[in-house]
Amino acid sequence: MQLVETLLNGFLLGGLYGVIGLGLSINFGTMRVVHLAHGDLIVLGAYFLVTVLVPAGLPPLVAAALVVPALFVVGWILQRFVISRSLGRGVLPPLIVTFGISTVLQNVLLLGATADARTLHGPLASAAVHVGGLTIAAVRLVDFAVGLLCLGGLLLLLGRTALGRALRATSDDPDTARLMGLDPRRIYALAAAIAAATGGVAGVLLAATQTFYPATGSEMLLVAFEVVVVGGLGSLTGTFLGGILLAMAQLVGARLFGPGYALLAGHLVVLGVLVFRPQGLLPRTAP
Amino acid sequence: MTAPAKEDELRGGPRGDPRGGRLRVAIIAASVLVLVACPAWGGSDARATLILLAYHAAIAVMWNLLAGYAGLVTFGQQVFVGLGGYTLAVGCERFGLGVWPAFALAAVVAGVLAVPIGALTFRLKGGYFAVGSWIVAEVFRLLFGTWGFVGNASGMFVRPARSVDPWVIYYVAIGLLIGLVALMVGMLRARPGLALMAIRDAEDAAASLGVHVWRTKLLAFVVAAAGTALAAALITVQTPFIQPNAAFSIQWSAAASFMVVVGGLGTIEGPILGAAIYVVLQQQLGGNGAVHLIVLGVISVAMMLIEPRGIAGLVRDRLGWTLFPVVRKPR
Repeated sequence: MQLVETLLNGFLLGGLYGVIGLGLSINFGTMRVVHLAHGDLIVLGAYFLVTVLVPAGLPPLVAAALVVPALFVVGWILQRFVISRSLGRGVLPPLIVTFGISTVLQNVLLLGATADARTLHGPLASAAVHVGGLTIAAVRLVDFAVGLLCLGGLLLLLGRTALGRALRATSDDPDTARLMGLDPRRIYALAAAIAAATGGVAGVLLAATQTFYPATGSEMLLVAFEVVVVGGLGSLTGTFLGGILLAMAQLVGARLFGPGYALLAGHLVVLGVLVFRPQGLLPRTAP
Repeated sequence: MTAPAKEDELRGGPRGDPRGGRLRVAIIAASVLVLVACPAWGGSDARATLILLAYHAAIAVMWNLLAGYAGLVTFGQQVFVGLGGYTLAVGCERFGLGVWPAFALAAVVAGVLAVPIGALTFRLKGGYFAVGSWIVAEVFRLLFGTWGFVGNASGMFVRPARSVDPWVIYYVAIGLLIGLVALMVGMLRARPGLALMAIRDAEDAAASLGVHVWRTKLLAFVVAAAGTALAAALITVQTPFIQPNAAFSIQWSAAASFMVVVGGLGTIEGPILGAAIYVVLQQQLGGNGAVHLIVLGVISVAMMLIEPRGIAGLVRDRLGWTLFPVVRKPR
């Protein structure tokens, strides 16, 4: 019964992990860039919520809603003025540039907000739902619901709108897209902004779900990476499923071996996937 | 007339003009002489700084072998820093090996473990390889943190290393750096180096010409692992203490990428130059504080965007001169 409870909690936490991975997936899907500062953008969103917006007296829901457009703008600016200049010259430049941004963000947060643990305080943090004999943290239900909404919204955006078509076209063939009148740099900036906005959603959920520090950014990057690898590169639905698998692996590991083993259990499951199913759960067939 | 010359060139490998050659030999000989004569002109401060410089440079030279010549950009080299350090610590402290046999063993352990690690992470390409290697390092960090035999997360002291004369550490550090540079130059001027650079520049084309892509990359990976582990073992002799969160820290890869990008990716002297800049910045800005890391981050981003060839690459392209010629120019 306890194991069922753990699995269910992991499944729901997977909603948050899915959102964490979606941003990395969008960046890679459109630009073939592994955005190493994505985890720090998530944590930046969480800090913006907990140390700026909430102390300013905004109601939590309004504050949470403001984080998303703020991160959209940050993502757009970073892409347009910094990351875009590193594209098209091989693997190394975007990695070095996004890793540098990550280092700067993490240490600016450390200077500005200290290394103290933070979290979003409120009734949601301690609320629980009882179903049958199972206890589920209410915040994890929110994680899952918001995660599913995010995935649905992105699938509609990419699959059913003109912007989505432009994004997919630029991803498939930037040169031909340019001939059709699309400006790849504009499209990339929009994609990065949308990815960062999902990071904003993830940041709000992170702040509501657990404590965080400036260094949590690296942890979030690794979660995002693992979720994408497990899910299969290039598939948003796969990314979401990867999030569920990773979260379940971590919580089961923590329950069986102790809280210190959550991360290790997650890493080992990911390496196992890499050995036995390197293409991930739902690989996109295109190259 | 031209045919024999061409053939000679192909057989002879990379050669600069004779005048540049003499200058090269003079600069290299003078540098080595100054380093060897350190006790005559410097005290313990100079010694400490040069040891710091030598092992940072050694780690950077090995990172450059991967990123600059094999096309393997990695953020997971800290796994070999940790394995090298722990091999030394466990070898001396737990198994009673002498300090220097344990030091040599570090290269063997890291080189052997690099084979399965490479076999696993090579399944990932580009940026995903970089982060996948980081995950492997995290696995080792977490495992060593829960392993009672090595003192869990609080780490262990290496008591036999306390009695090692600092000048011995100095000469081993300098010898290690010179040895690794010589190994790199030798390797790159020979067949494996040519294969590596071919893979870096066009993997499919290299494979179609009969280069064993996977095997050649693995060779570079194993060499880099062994070299990095030796540098790490030396750090552990000097400290003499090791702890998993520091030994398997991402900061090692961050530092390595900074040194290589600023000094000059894909050049031999670049990483050494980058290590000098890194050490000076570290001493000026004080340890690994937030300000120091922000400065490193800003410099590496700016360098990548403004001058991606790094300082040594810039000199090579502007003056057409390089301290260690390993690039073949078709004429």
